[in-house]
Amino acid sequence: MSVRPSGSRLPYVLLGIYIAVCLFAVTWPGYAWFGARVEPRIFGLPFAFAWTIGWVLATFVVLVLFHRSVSRRS
Amino acid sequence: MEKYSVIVVSISAAYLLACLVIGMLPGRKASSSAAGYVAGDRSLGVLVMYFITGATIFSAFAFLGAPGWAYSRGAAAFYILAYGTLGFLPFYFLGPRAARLGKAYGFVTQAQMVSARFRFPALAGVMALISTVAFVPYLALQMKGAGYVLEEMTRGAVPSWVGAAIVYGVVMIYVLRSGVLGVGWTNTFQGIFMMALAWIMGLYLPHVLYGGVGPMFDEIIAKRPELLTPPGLTSGGESWSWGEYTTAILVSVIGFAVWPHLFMKAFTARDGRTIRRTVVLYPTFQLFIIPLLLIGFAGVMFSSSPDAPDQILPHMLMNLELSPVVVGFFCAGALAASMSSGDAIVHAGASILVRDGWVTSLRKPLEARVERLVIRVLVVILLIGSYVLAVLFPGTLVDLLLFAYGPVVQFAPAVYATLFLRRVSGAGLLVGLILGVATNVLFALYPDLRPWPINAGILGLAVNVLAVTLISAVTKARTDEETERYLAIAGGRDLDEPSGERAS
Repeated sequence: MSVRPSGSRLPYVLLGIYIAVCLFAVTWPGYAWFGARVEPRIFGLPFAFAWTIGWVLATFVVLVLFHRSVSRRS
Repeated sequence: MEKYSVIVVSISAAYLLACLVIGMLPGRKASSSAAGYVAGDRSLGVLVMYFITGATIFSAFAFLGAPGWAYSRGAAAFYILAYGTLGFLPFYFLGPRAARLGKAYGFVTQAQMVSARFRFPALAGVMALISTVAFVPYLALQMKGAGYVLEEMTRGAVPSWVGAAIVYGVVMIYVLRSGVLGVGWTNTFQGIFMMALAWIMGLYLPHVLYGGVGPMFDEIIAKRPELLTPPGLTSGGESWSWGEYTTAILVSVIGFAVWPHLFMKAFTARDGRTIRRTVVLYPTFQLFIIPLLLIGFAGVMFSSSPDAPDQILPHMLMNLELSPVVVGFFCAGALAASMSSGDAIVHAGASILVRDGWVTSLRKPLEARVERLVIRVLVVILLIGSYVLAVLFPGTLVDLLLFAYGPVVQFAPAVYATLFLRRVSGAGLLVGLILGVATNVLFALYPDLRPWPINAGILGLAVNVLAVTLISAVTKARTDEETERYLAIAGGRDLDEPSGERAS
């Protein structure tokens, strides 16, 4: 990686960790271990459906936090 | 024409007219240069960027295909939701770099950006060729979707070939007149419209048929438990493998952001900040998949089944004896999905053919006025060509699309390398691209030949990256001043561009 902004690397590291965790959680094996089930139902939805929706929402929250922390420094 | 059809047709016609008006208005604002027509003078803000990307991604294929997946393949459809979590995220880093380079060098397309970095015009030519091969069946599929919905919903009063011609006639008019600004403003309107409609249908249908979303899934769990067992089913009805599910998501996460018609929207943004905000907001657009999947699940226990899974939504609407007003609005929503992808594709396809296939690869610059004219002529040619394809080859289009979708993902190594890596050679990228596409097409055609049961695009990417690495190691990668300057601009560290944002 040739160009790295000068400020703190922490938000980038945390985002990287989140991406790895999220990928793990929505694909095999994380999804197969934790998410891939029908019960318990969430708002009537099968758990696997709600689980995947949950990760879309989590990504949104993480991106907002990441974006705020890196734009404030510039 | 019976009264029912008249109402459906009137609502659809009113909708088309609204699109036409909204699409025609911005034409006066853009400059007459290619940058004005193709990149909207790099002026778009967050609102329009959000909808231009969102509505471009959600095509007729999503509007009809996503319910079709849930209906026939059950839990497999969660993959569509899953890849969207991270799929657009790379654009947060790619987009602003591309935008800065676009501003500094005047790029309006992705291939132009790649080939300029390596001073390798052949790359632009090959990328233009692959894009066009991918775009034409994609566009034809959007037309088929629009025509099909109109024919079904008007009970045959508007034949599909007439419907497709009228809808895409409207698209042609506003794309010709307003270029990307027309696409942007209509997509904002169409995006809001189709999101609202999907949510209404997605909650309404389970309610009418089962008494709510919970009872609907109770019934599916009781009667079709295999459907909801992750990772779901294949199109043939057998269990899907974890390898395929996982790699289907991976390939989309890697390749999603490099689709040329989507990527080149980086050049339309006002600045890098706008692009980043768009990416941050994108998961909210992705939630629009939820009601579409609910619609598909609502079809599982429906009293009759359609000819093809993609037709489950129109099929249910036709057999429910709904008010023609509801059906008319659905029609308009489906047209919105079709048009908002079709317009971006045809605009991008024509721009890429001229800019990359001619100007960049053959190094024959055109006068701004001429370039704009040629792009417009190609818009017409592409639309007519796709229309002929849509009318003449009814059954084979989805197969064509399968071949189209994979190869474009093979642009990913070239795009990432262009923006981030120093020691990569243009020859390596070209060979990698060609081998990647060949591998991808081979395994898509003959899935039994795959060494492991995983997505053909991932196998193509593996070959692609390997070839790029090996060839870049033996050929001399350019690491001269010009390359350094290019990467410095990408990173926002260039002194010539004081207004450019810093990367932090």
